[in-house]
Amino acid sequence: MAWREKTAWITLVAMVIAYGAYFILINTAVLTPVSMLGLFGAVTVLQVIAIVAVTAVLAALSSDEARAKADERDRAVARRGASIAYFVLMVGVITVGVIMPFHDVGWRLTNAALFALVIAETVRHLIIVVSYRRGWRG
Amino acid sequence: MGKGHIRNQMRTLRFLAGEMTQSELGAKIGVTRQTIAAIEQGKYSPTLEAAFRIAKVLGKSLDEVFQWDDA
Repeated sequence: MAWREKTAWITLVAMVIAYGAYFILINTAVLTPVSMLGLFGAVTVLQVIAIVAVTAVLAALSSDEARAKADERDRAVARRGASIAYFVLMVGVITVGVIMPFHDVGWRLTNAALFALVIAETVRHLIIVVSYRRGWRG
Repeated sequence: MGKGHIRNQMRTLRFLAGEMTQSELGAKIGVTRQTIAAIEQGKYSPTLEAAFRIAKVLGKSLDEVFQWDDA
């Protein structure tokens, strides 16, 4: 498995678990804005720690691969992921910034914007993983 | 447009070039072993520059290494 596919898997799994838990909690528990902000901060920090820790362990086990610069396929796959995720983010931003203000306010807008970001990032990493797995001829 | 794909003889030519490994070929043209494997399996089409480099390392012309398949 290519090194960048491994890191995409790590980020994808960490994001889905961390932000999945966050969105489930904010929709099921009654939280004040401050506790919601604290939860978001905690989830983000834990996610970053998990990604760094697992990546460091994998890098130690496969040091040559981890040190190698991204090659043309890595860059092409990354571009594909980013360009598709951009459209997902656009739809999210338009929904949150143009449509939702007519019937929602405050933290719902903030969380919807965060949700759009998470979905776009999830799509980006999903596209990267699928492109490595199934192949992509550009 | 959209039909067809690039096929290649890289695996055979690597063998004929002193049983060169995917890692060795990758190191010579500046890509990873996994990228060479993906090209050989038809999962990735290299850039023109990488294709020329591969042909040069294998000591062949471009069309001896890569062919267009309409199927």
